[in-house]
Amino acid sequence: MDGEIVKAAALLGAGIAMGLGAIGPGVGEGYAAGKACEGVSKRPEQAGLITRTMLVGQAVTESTGIYSLVIALILIFMFAS
Amino acid sequence: MLSYGLIGAYVGSGLAVGIGALGTAAGVGYAAGKAIKAMNRQPDQSGTLLRTMLIGQAVTETSGIFALLVSLILLFKGGDTSMTAMFAYVSAGLCIGVGALGPGVGAGLAVGATCEGIGRKPENSGGLMICMLIGQAVTQTSVIFALVVTLLLIFQTHTQSLLHNAAILGAGLSMGFGAIGPGLGCGLTAEMATSSIGFNAKSSKAVTTTMLLGQSVAQSTAIYSLVVAMILMFIF
Repeated sequence: MDGEIVKAAALLGAGIAMGLGAIGPGVGEGYAAGKACEGVSKRPEQAGLITRTMLVGQAVTESTGIYSLVIALILIFMFAS
Repeated sequence: MLSYGLIGAYVGSGLAVGIGALGTAAGVGYAAGKAIKAMNRQPDQSGTLLRTMLIGQAVTETSGIFALLVSLILLFKGGDTSMTAMFAYVSAGLCIGVGALGPGVGAGLAVGATCEGIGRKPENSGGLMICMLIGQAVTQTSVIFALVVTLLLIFQTHTQSLLHNAAILGAGLSMGFGAIGPGLGCGLTAEMATSSIGFNAKSSKAVTTTMLLGQSVAQSTAIYSLVVAMILMFIF
């Protein structure tokens, strides 16, 4: 029974980790994309450079979301099954 | 005998529409405020502004309507009285309620910037409206993910075990909170895209392309949440 409760806590923890962890990257990447739109609008001839920089920035922003995903998957597949 | 299923359904129903109405209401109100400000500046464009505001608000309202729909389903479903059903219904309510927060605010931001842009340069209204609608549609994606998880939670046949109870509660929390960020972020993108088209209408094509690319990357964390929620629901 104790083991069951620990496993249940791991599953609940996985959900909380991924849920809360997805808030920050979502807002941050959206903000980056918005600023890129403003940049493209001001200097359309630099659209390629701006889009590339936006994608690199978003990839770095994504990292904390991927941390959450990794922790959630570890909790699910190593501690709960 | 105490019906756990009914307790869960009523609590979940309240959570769904209670939390879900917060974001949508804020977004719709923000849009109306911006539209009124723009009408002050261009009183002769009030017809266009009113139309834009209403169309934008209707799209913004989507997430609130999803929350209301789930709330009504939970109120009238009944039937399942088990402990697991209680967890499923509370989780479903939390998922759509919290999930509607971000997209509601985000879509409202886009309408506000569009109205502001029309108030500045009324001749841009066509391009602005197209960009606003595309941006809002992508913004609503994450609440649609939340709706899918919610409906699966309500109508899936559940196995009765402690592990499954925790897994479905985790799934609801994962997708519910996971939808806030991408919704708000994509809304910010749409807001800045529409406001920059408002300044420079010639760039509308390039800006819309950049907006879609950026928004699709911003949605990725919502997809992670969806994957984790699906794993939790169907493996345990």
